[in-house]
Amino acid sequence: MVELVFMTPFLTGVIAFFLPRTTGRLLLVITGSIHLLLSLSLWIRRPIAVFPDYFAVTPEGLLSLLVISLLFFLISIYTIAYLKEADIRSENIFTGSMLLFLSTMTMVTLSDHIMVMWIAIEATTLASAPLIYTHRSAASLEATWKYVLICSVGIALALLGSVLIDFSMEVGGVDVPVAFSSLTEVAQRLDPLWLKTGFVFILVGYGTKMGLAPMHTWLPDAHSEAPSPASALLSGVLLNCAYLGIFKTNKIMQAAGLGNFSGNILIVFGLASMLAAATFIIRQTEYKRLLAYSSIENMGIIAFGTGIGGIGAYGAVLCLIHHSLIKSALFLSSGNILLGYGSRLIEGTGNLAKLMPKTFVTFFGGFVGIAGMPPFGIFLGEIFIILGAFRTGHYWGAGLFILSICVIFAGFANHVMKIAFSDTGIEIKTNESPNMVWPQFALLITSIVLFFWMPGTLYQTIINAVNAVGP
Amino acid sequence: MIDSVDTILALVLLSVLFSFGTSRLPALIKIIAFQGVAVSIVPLFIGHGLTTGGTVFTLVTLLIRGIVIPLCIYLAIKKVAIRREVEPIVGYHASLLVGLILIVAATFVSPKFNLPQTSGNVLLLPTAITLLAAGMFLLMARRNAIAMVLGYIVMENGIYLVGTSFSVRAHHIVEFGILLDVLAGVMIMAVILQNIKQAFDDVDTALLRTLKE
Repeated sequence: MVELVFMTPFLTGVIAFFLPRTTGRLLLVITGSIHLLLSLSLWIRRPIAVFPDYFAVTPEGLLSLLVISLLFFLISIYTIAYLKEADIRSENIFTGSMLLFLSTMTMVTLSDHIMVMWIAIEATTLASAPLIYTHRSAASLEATWKYVLICSVGIALALLGSVLIDFSMEVGGVDVPVAFSSLTEVAQRLDPLWLKTGFVFILVGYGTKMGLAPMHTWLPDAHSEAPSPASALLSGVLLNCAYLGIFKTNKIMQAAGLGNFSGNILIVFGLASMLAAATFIIRQTEYKRLLAYSSIENMGIIAFGTGIGGIGAYGAVLCLIHHSLIKSALFLSSGNILLGYGSRLIEGTGNLAKLMPKTFVTFFGGFVGIAGMPPFGIFLGEIFIILGAFRTGHYWGAGLFILSICVIFAGFANHVMKIAFSDTGIEIKTNESPNMVWPQFALLITSIVLFFWMPGTLYQTIINAVNAVGP
Repeated sequence: MIDSVDTILALVLLSVLFSFGTSRLPALIKIIAFQGVAVSIVPLFIGHGLTTGGTVFTLVTLLIRGIVIPLCIYLAIKKVAIRREVEPIVGYHASLLVGLILIVAATFVSPKFNLPQTSGNVLLLPTAITLLAAGMFLLMARRNAIAMVLGYIVMENGIYLVGTSFSVRAHHIVEFGILLDVLAGVMIMAVILQNIKQAFDDVDTALLRTLKE
């Protein structure tokens, strides 16, 4: 049964709030593994939901779900080791929120009803707010405030957009369940004016959550202030969940023959995000903020690819999967760096290659991957997107796309070289326990394996997910 | 016969003007509470052929929008911040003028939309649009964190009004989920407000300026 996948972490999450401090750690891993098993069983059996009006197993949902499940499992193992090293006062709130966060994100991937999707995405904001405030500092308070307020207001606009899509049904005289799947089937009969307006509001709303410029301002603060396992989840999978809302609405637009309209808007927002990220990455002074801006860049890449459609949309989904794998590995590594050096500043680090060799390998490997070099999957995704852009005649768009990738690569490389090799004479405090390194290796190796060999069922699911988005 | 829905909506519009003109937080919270009550009873009069479930849901909405949410914020700020002003970026007179312009503009553009089922209630769409814009305005034109939360609530009220005109088809369980999300959101904001108050001894968002490029 489909609903079990998000009910399980919900229940364990509620329980975790009342458990004594350290018991929650074990619960985190147990729930993570159960969740992974349940997700795999969904992949194999693809059952019908108990409440088919509200939930459904869709290809794009399955893809996100598997990424969420795998990431959470690996991150939960890392978190146990991290919690031993880091000093977190109310640990049960942290673990409880992590589990509730997992539950709400799972609900996003499985929801089919347009309003249930909204409820789930808003719930992810609420469940993750305590995670950002974990350190109880003035800066983290500010980050939480910005996060909750900006995202709530943004997502309120998405609610308005969803209501407007309802109008488009009413004006078009369509009477079907207000679900993405049934709306895509009858898209031709929906009122185009209200559908367009609804799409714009949904894009702005969920785009805020996804971190598209110019609504991205909360993202660097939240990602840099949250503890690293939470940052990895925020960046690796939360952004995907928001993207899923846009992706599904875009599917309705494509089916309604308004693909050009939605595609062009997505391309503009995507390029804006990439250019904004490029300007901030060059002059960045903190490494976690650097990673956060890189997430904004990648969300821009994904939005651009989705806007191009066809082979570009396939590339976008590849980028989505590999960005999750690589970026969460990077954030976990940044957690090791923070624990070791005790400083968020790039200036405060240095000589990582010698002082923390294993973390250096994962951090540098992650950088290579996120910069779009083989043998990591983002390389393939970006190539497909560029090919798609040229094929559909978006020459200016492709030009700007390549330009910002180059600028970001230069800026990012500069900072990473400083962290890895500059000799600042800093001593470090911690040693690298195995559990704080191998999850990153597992994530990066998954990305490499998927570069060379993709299982047939995975490939077919991606094709099924994107086939509505142009040829 | 004077239409009861339009009467209520006129009161809602007035509450927008009052909220723009007031300088005191307790007064602002009371106005928003009144607005919540007024907005949530609209479905009772709009006449979709109300079912038992619909009535119960409306009453729950009334309880949450009119009482629980304002009370939550009131309790969060009770001690320190209660005597403070809302610290406007745009002055009160200018705000009032903006409010009037908003209402006029909303009334002017509303007939241009070909909406279903609004023929009976002239003011429904203008009020909804005004509330949306007014919420945005409060968010931008007040530096006080509480006023910003109240702006968010005004926006939500507007979206709720837009939703009432189609609520025939929507399942109550879904609407209830939305309401629950809004409530939880406001509660979390109230907790953050309390922490901001303790950390900075104020709720002026100008103090929240350490994180920026």
